[in-house]
This record gives sequence, C-alpha cells and structure tokens, in this order.
Amino acid sequence: MTDKPLSGLRVIERASGVAAAQAGRLMCQMGADVIMVEPAGGSCIRQEHPLLPGGQSALFTYLSAGKWSVVCDPSNPNFRQEMDKLLAEADIFIDDTPVADRAGLGLDEARIAEAHPQLVHLSVLPYGAFGPKAGWKGEELNLIHAGGEGFLLPNGLSADLFPDRPPLKIAGHFAEMQGGTTAAMAALAALWAGKGQFVDVSVQDANVAVGAFAIQRFGDGSVEHRLTRSFKFGGVIECANGYVELLTLEPRQWDGLLDLLGADDWANDASLTDEVGRSARGDEINERIRSWARHQQVETLVSEAQKRGVPMARYNAPEHVLTGLQETSRSIFATLDTPEGPVKVHSLPFRFGPDALPVSATVASPGADQSILTGDNGRRASA
Amino acid sequence: MKPLAGLRIADFTVHAAGPFCTHMLSQMGAEVIKVETALRPDIFRKPHAVYGREGPATFDQVSSNKLSVRLNLKHPDGVALAKKLVTIADVAAESFRAGVMTRLGLGYETLRVAKQDIVMVSVSSSGQTGPESHFAGYAPLFGAWGGLGYLSGHADGPPVEMRHVMDHSVGMHAALATLAALHRLRRTGLGCHVDVAAREVASSLVGDALTAASAGVSVGRMGNDDMTRAPHGLFPTVDKDRWLSIAVSTDGEWQKLAQIIGHPQLAADPRYAKKASRHTHRRDLDGPITDWTSAQNGEAAAEQLQASGIAAHLSWAASDIVVDPHMRARGAILEVTETNGHHRAAVGRPARFAGDDAPGITRGTPAFGGDEDYVYGELLGLSRARIKALVDDKAIY
Repeated sequence: MTDKPLSGLRVIERASGVAAAQAGRLMCQMGADVIMVEPAGGSCIRQEHPLLPGGQSALFTYLSAGKWSVVCDPSNPNFRQEMDKLLAEADIFIDDTPVADRAGLGLDEARIAEAHPQLVHLSVLPYGAFGPKAGWKGEELNLIHAGGEGFLLPNGLSADLFPDRPPLKIAGHFAEMQGGTTAAMAALAALWAGKGQFVDVSVQDANVAVGAFAIQRFGDGSVEHRLTRSFKFGGVIECANGYVELLTLEPRQWDGLLDLLGADDWANDASLTDEVGRSARGDEINERIRSWARHQQVETLVSEAQKRGVPMARYNAPEHVLTGLQETSRSIFATLDTPEGPVKVHSLPFRFGPDALPVSATVASPGADQSILTGDNGRRASA
Repeated sequence: MKPLAGLRIADFTVHAAGPFCTHMLSQMGAEVIKVETALRPDIFRKPHAVYGREGPATFDQVSSNKLSVRLNLKHPDGVALAKKLVTIADVAAESFRAGVMTRLGLGYETLRVAKQDIVMVSVSSSGQTGPESHFAGYAPLFGAWGGLGYLSGHADGPPVEMRHVMDHSVGMHAALATLAALHRLRRTGLGCHVDVAAREVASSLVGDALTAASAGVSVGRMGNDDMTRAPHGLFPTVDKDRWLSIAVSTDGEWQKLAQIIGHPQLAADPRYAKKASRHTHRRDLDGPITDWTSAQNGEAAAEQLQASGIAAHLSWAASDIVVDPHMRARGAILEVTETNGHHRAAVGRPARFAGDDAPGITRGTPAFGGDEDYVYGELLGLSRARIKALVDDKAIY
C-alpha cells in the first residue's frame, strides 16, 4: 500500500496523558496529520520516563514520532481563537482536559458542537466525561485496578511464590494504552457515520471491555481471583537461563509435551487421558515440569517444543524483541535519528498489506510547526 | 442510529482475539454473521474443563448480537457458499493460523476475486509473514514473545503471564485497523488485507521500554513501582483482600496525603518534599501509609483521597464492577437476557456516542445456525430446497 489508510485526515491533539497520546499515535502512524497542541514548555509527557541517555523521553518519542507541534497555552488571551482556527480545519479533536476545566477554556461538549459541528470531538479521560466519577483522577496504577484486571494479577508462578503480596500491575501503561486504542477505534467509527459528534471514551470502560471474560465468569457464578485462576499446569516455567511460557490446551499439544518430557509413564496413565484428569493432577504435573525445565536451556527447549506442536515461547527481554528473528523479518522497528543518536521505534502492530507502514522519522520540538497557526496556508513550513 | 449501521461482516474468527474484534464492531452497529461448524464447535458451545465449565456456556459476551450460520469449510459447496457470503459483506474477518484460509480456498487473492474491494482482516499470533508465522499461540505466549510478560512482575520475581486482556487487546487493535481500512476503501475504492499480529500488539504496548532499550537503557521488572511517582502502590485496607491503589504524581499531592494519613511531619521532611528525593526514599513511606490504610474502609478512603485531588481507586473484582452506578450510567455495564431467559450483567459499548445512546448489546448468544433463513434465504437468495440440499450434503453443517 503506497498511501496510508488515514491520509488526508487532520487531527488536533491536546494530550497530557498516555491514553489520548496513544489515540493520536495510532492515527498518526496510519497516515493522519496529527497536530499536538502543547502548553508553553511542552506537553508534560515530554518529561515522562523512561528517558533516553541524554534526557529525551523515550515514552514521548514513541508516542509522538511523526506528529506536528504547535504551542497554544491556555493562559494566552488568544487561546480560544487559536483553538478555533485549528479545529475549523480538523476532522478529529482528541482532548484529555479534565471535565471541570473545559468550559473555562471553551472546550466543553456544547460549545465545540456548536462552533465545529463537523468535528468528531473525542474526549479521553480516566473515567470518562459522564457519570458520577467523571471528575476522578486516575493514573495507570489506579486504572488497571478500576478495570478489574489488576485484582487478578499476578497469577501462575508469581502468585505461587508471593501469595501474600498485594495485586500487581502490568508493565508500563497497559491500561492507558487500551484506553487510547479504544478511543481511536471509537473516533473512526464516529467519523464513519459521516457527522461530527462528541465521543466519550473512558480508560476504565476500555479496560473492563478487554477484561470482559471476568464479567462473563461472574455471570456464570464465579468471581475470579489471582490465586485460583492460574492454569492448572504450565504457565511461567523457569529454565537454566531464563523463563518460558508453556500452555497446552488441546490433546495433541499434551501428547507433544509428553514426548518432550519423555514421560512415557504419563502417556500410559489412564487418569491423564483427558483434560479433567490432568487438571486434577495439575500440581504434580507442574512439579515435574518445573524441576525438569530448570536444567534446560531456553532456546533448545522452545525449539524442541515448537517442533512437537507444543505452544511454548521464551519470555523475551527487550533486547530479544528488538533483534528477534520474526520481528526483524517483518521490519516492525523503524530507526529514528535523535539528538542522542539513532533509536528504534515500534511501528503499528498491524499492517494493511505485506509491509509495515513506515514510521515518520521526526519528533517535533514544542512549537516546531507554529506556522500552522501563524501562516495562512495552515501547512507545515518545514519538516 | 449506531455509527456502524449498514456495515456487514462475514466472521470466520475463532477463539478470543478475532471474535472480540467483530464483537466491538457489532456493539457499534455492524451486522456480524458468525460462521460456525459442528466439525469444530466454537469454544463457548462446548464444555471447557480449563475454566471449570461442565456444559456449554449459556451466554458468550463476544457472540452476543451476532448472527449464526453453519458452514462446512472442508466441503467444496461450503467453500463456494463462504465466497458468496463474502460478496455481500464489507469485511471478511478470520483468525486461523496463517495460511489456513488459503488452504481452505478462501485466501485474500481468492476473496478479492469474489469481491474486488473486500477488506479482509486476519488476526494471528505472529502475523501472516515471517519465519515464525506458523507458530501456535495463546495470550500468555503473545505476552511472552512481545516483552510485555518479561517486564511485568515483582523486581525479585519471575515474569507474569498475560491472560484474556491480551487477547482482547489484540481484538481491539484489529477493530481499529478494520475501520481504518474501511476509511481508505471509502476514499480510494480499494480493499486490502489487514494483518494483525498478536505478539506485535504485546510489544507495541511496551513500545516506550523498547525504544529506551534500543538506546542502551536498562528496563526491567518493577512491581507496582513507577519510575518517578511516589508513593505509588497497593495498600491493604480494613477488609481482607481489599487493596487501595494510590498514585501520587506531584509534591502538592504528597503534602495533602501526608496530612490525611496523620503524618504532617513527613510533609515537611526534606527527604520527601521533592519528587526525585521522595522516589529515592519511597520505601520509607510504605509503613506510615499502610498504618493509615489498614484502618480504612477502601471505598471511603478512595473518595477521601480523590476529594483532595489524589489519584486513588480500590482494586476491583468483577463483583464490584457489575454493580457500579458509574459503569451502569455509562452503558459500559448493561443487563442482557440470555437465550435461556436469565438476566445477567455484560460489558456494553466501548464508548458513548452523542449521536446514539442505544445499548451496545440487543440480543444474546445466537442459536447454532439460528440465522440461516435470513442469511442464506433473504440475503443470498437461496431457495429452501437448495438450503435443504446443502444441509443434507453437510455443506451447511
């Protein structure tokens, strides 16, 4: 595909959090012109860790590559006028301004709908713009727990080792990323309907949605818990030089596992011929797998498992992902030149043909594209 | 009217990630025709010992709203009928292992002959191309491959296994990609083959850590800690296994928290006054905060902290979420009627649209092949006699 799917779309992004910036990132990587509207001094995401060795935010670099930047500070008397100028030419407005602050800035739902009826006004907030908790603050840690998945983590080996510790978050910004992806999806759905409208996305809602299985299980009569929802055997397995994940859900995969283990006794054991019998003896099975695997090398084990159709994967450290055979073959990382030297940036996790869409090699400094506001043509003066 | 009203999807997806993709699109108004076969029953139509289910589920979240038809894709007439179904669809979605649809005679090149501008969406563990595209995988493996599992966990513990949220995140990304492809189709008239790789979704969720690692920065497991925020963690409350999440971002928030927990002297202590130093000494603060939270009702404490501008929320189980007035008010949790007439809570629409406030789910799990009169008869124009012949020959099976 030579043209990107969202070519021609213009998006205005006011983001102080990861969720809104992730929505903008996805649209940008799919070809939309995404213009960050930053306060004086730049978005606070520019300060977020992890940092590159010279101090530039790796998080901001990842979320913002390819976006344009104008500075339009809320304290500036021309703020409303400048926002209106930007929004008049836009298709989507992404905003995570707290609800209580919106009217004062002229960014509330009613005013935007009146002034810019063509616009998809995408609100992205921790708990949404509507409902009793619309004003609540939520950081990543709170949101993974408000959405239900935090309560269920860790499970498996980590839960076995530390049963008395509190629940555990997923690494990084998992919950906020779900909010951002859901927001981008909802905005494109609204745009598909062909009319401007307000779209209210809540990071909590998005996480409850991806955690839907827990709600379904509740309807079936059980409340899941991190100490009991582990797979009966398999899961995270420690090897001599790292960890692997093992999960056998189908009979042929169990057969492959027996072959891998050389467990002829189990192959001939009538009580292990079905899933129910195996689950009942899960602890015993796991004990044997764990003690056996402790002497195995990860690479050999994974290779032998995959040969036998046993689903197994190495727990890849970042450097493994960055240099992985599959990842390299599919060119999922783009190289960006930064003042600190080249860094890699993940492209979209989906593609619209055989090749990954290219990632723009530019990370804009605050106000790098101010000519969009000051110039007449509304286009970037320089890349 | 729902935003995607008028869109039609031929849904060949199985397991979790693919069906969640089409489920999201169906909640926003797309008509989704779920293709099933008795040769390989859908996971919710059979007992599932791993989840302690003795019989078939009576309700399946990701199948709600969908229409069901039977189709035997190992029968030449079944394959022909599948192609016919694609001709009346805007999107064909599938989630078999890479290459299976082609082997069935339903690959993208074939489908685009049947319908020139079809958007085909393939969801797989490792993508449609590359040396590992044939690998079998489930959510925990996606997380393991992608680095997300490695980076999750206690600093002194092992990696953590990702579960259904991983599958469903893949589905959410697939739904987004589908809509982007449709926008391009509307603009250019061109269909395409969307290739969603689950392990790439996992790695993209830690894209910041990967960028940092590419510059030589070491990033590892850090439990519930944040790289700069402190206090930041889960604290016990007066009730057993009710944990309060607290995340302090600014010095001002810390000053307020120190007052609330009854330790104003900590607010004045230079070790904790500024963010960077407070983070360095963060473990010192776990005790005083725990002393306070341990005597609190969790919900009341969260409200008290929020009233002071501090981000806090209880660690909620499903039982908390389904009764939450906020979630109900938003339509994010709604009441549905199962096929057996029972009522239960389910997850509703993924966003609120000003142009439409209809509930996301309007019917429960479809009966197996329950919509064949409509799909094969009304939409495809097959006569009753022809449908019967296909059923007798097990092409519709």
